[in-house]
Amino acid sequence: MKDISHLISIKKKMVVPLLFIIMFSYFLFITCIAYFPEFLGQQFFNSTISYGIVFGFLLILIIFIVTLVYVFLSNKYLEPEIKKITS
Amino acid sequence: MNIIAVSLFLLFVFVTLYITYWAAKQISNRDSFYTAGGNISGFQNGLAISGDFMSAASFLGISGLVFATGFDGLIYSIGFLVGWPIVLLLIAEPLRNLGKYTFADVASYRLQQRPIRTLSALGSLATVSLYLIAQMVGAGKLIQILFGLPYDLAVYIVGGLMILYVTFGGMIATTWVQIIKAVLLLFGATLISILVLYQFNFNLNQFFSTAVQNHELGSKILNPGGLIKDPISAISLGLALMFGTAGLPHILMRFFTVKDSIQARKSVVYATGFIGYFYILTFIIGFGAIILVGSNTDYLKPNGGLIGNNNMAAIHLAHAVGGDVLLGFISAVAFATILAVVSGLTLAGASAISHDIYANVINSSNKNEKKELFVSRIATIFLGILAIFLGIIFEKQNIAFMVGLAFAIAASTNFPIIFLSMFWKNLTTRGAFLGGLIGLLVTIALVILSPVVWVDVFHFTEAIFPYKYPALFSMTTTFFFVIFISLSDRSSQAIKDKKGFQEQFYRSITGIGIEEGKKH
Repeated sequence: MKDISHLISIKKKMVVPLLFIIMFSYFLFITCIAYFPEFLGQQFFNSTISYGIVFGFLLILIIFIVTLVYVFLSNKYLEPEIKKITS
Repeated sequence: MNIIAVSLFLLFVFVTLYITYWAAKQISNRDSFYTAGGNISGFQNGLAISGDFMSAASFLGISGLVFATGFDGLIYSIGFLVGWPIVLLLIAEPLRNLGKYTFADVASYRLQQRPIRTLSALGSLATVSLYLIAQMVGAGKLIQILFGLPYDLAVYIVGGLMILYVTFGGMIATTWVQIIKAVLLLFGATLISILVLYQFNFNLNQFFSTAVQNHELGSKILNPGGLIKDPISAISLGLALMFGTAGLPHILMRFFTVKDSIQARKSVVYATGFIGYFYILTFIIGFGAIILVGSNTDYLKPNGGLIGNNNMAAIHLAHAVGGDVLLGFISAVAFATILAVVSGLTLAGASAISHDIYANVINSSNKNEKKELFVSRIATIFLGILAIFLGIIFEKQNIAFMVGLAFAIAASTNFPIIFLSMFWKNLTTRGAFLGGLIGLLVTIALVILSPVVWVDVFHFTEAIFPYKYPALFSMTTTFFFVIFISLSDRSSQAIKDKKGFQEQFYRSITGIGIEEGKKH
């Protein structure tokens, strides 16, 4: 077995922040729902669309972007490292 | 009965049976039956995964929930979606690098085969059966309304076709049925949404304000309502949805159908994109139904309420914006959706029986690939008949808790075992087996004692366990017992278990050894 500590540290640097973004934004969303439903009901600028809907749609976007970023980073940093070890 | 719906559905059945015939010719061994030989691309797998998630229950159920309560429907959608980055960041790659056919391959990689496979199979079968019952009952009722067929006959048709697809076509047919259905459903939902928004010149502000004027709750549909009342329930539901996805056997199995971890990653990105897009559509469809269905007496019962029930909101809306043609199309797609989802579930259940229980627990000394393939086909037929039988028994029962329970078990039994076996070197066989078993029993007990079963099914006045969602408690229980028992395990097996971690972890990250694993 070759030394993979460098590979593991790259992977950690990618996974931990992205995991944090997901956990933080999702639990923020859930907490707002449980504690501040009125705030989420307020209207966004002068429209009928509420903060809750904007937050929700934004969260869907964040979730998708996180998966996209992870694959982008994997191809750029992780895969070359893995290739070095497997070849 | 809608002629267009029936003919489109028959066309779908004809095409999928032809695919099954084509797939059957290619199925020569276990690889092709369980995982389509690992030849599915990341894009195809992403579509198939999104197909597994875009069930009739989530299409009709979430749009129905949005129709009834507005914003609250979005809470569910986001909960279902947020499991995907977790799957991607934590388990997709190691899963692909370590496993072959079932997640038990991964869980038992360095542990003792028999106890861990038995536990994993138990977790898989529990999740799959609960899901199957919910799908079958939903299917029977839906088809009853859409096509005017008797409930029992509808259940027979769904069960029968599913047995044909899976028994003969295995994962190849199941995947293609899932892909075709996902494309049809995405197309149909997009079409309805565009036709709805077209009526408002794509002005979202006007769209939402008209919905507010039309709904009896008024502007309350734009803020959170009664779905989540206290923070404990909020966190508990959040945990179940977040980590439940990472413990669903039929989803995990899909990662073995691609060739390597690069494709496994890609699958998740495509799946997340499609599912997220789909949930946005269900939200628009729900609000569209508030405007165009909720105020149109054609779709209402004389004493109020939708014809059928709230779950028919999307179907009625299809009629309102696209007439009989779109109604027929969406009905046929809903039928197809049910078929595809139950096929995926049954295949996951059958592989747990044949690959885990039969080949590695009962008959582990005498490995015979041909026999295992035969057993998996028998298991498929058995599960299919069981699903029909349970579908008929549970027709008049309150089954609202079943998908929640499936997610709770997935999050509290399957996920901890998979996660700890991948990342925690001190996990031992005894810890995983006993801790997992305790977790499974505690989850089931908490759900039974909770309001969703104790009050809603057994009709007691007060629940013994006050929260609707047990995951916060059951997940911590499992993690606690698995870790505690592992740490106190001084057996000789424990030393072997820990010793195997280094090699397993190396393979889980680099993928070295994966080719050999595939051929086996």
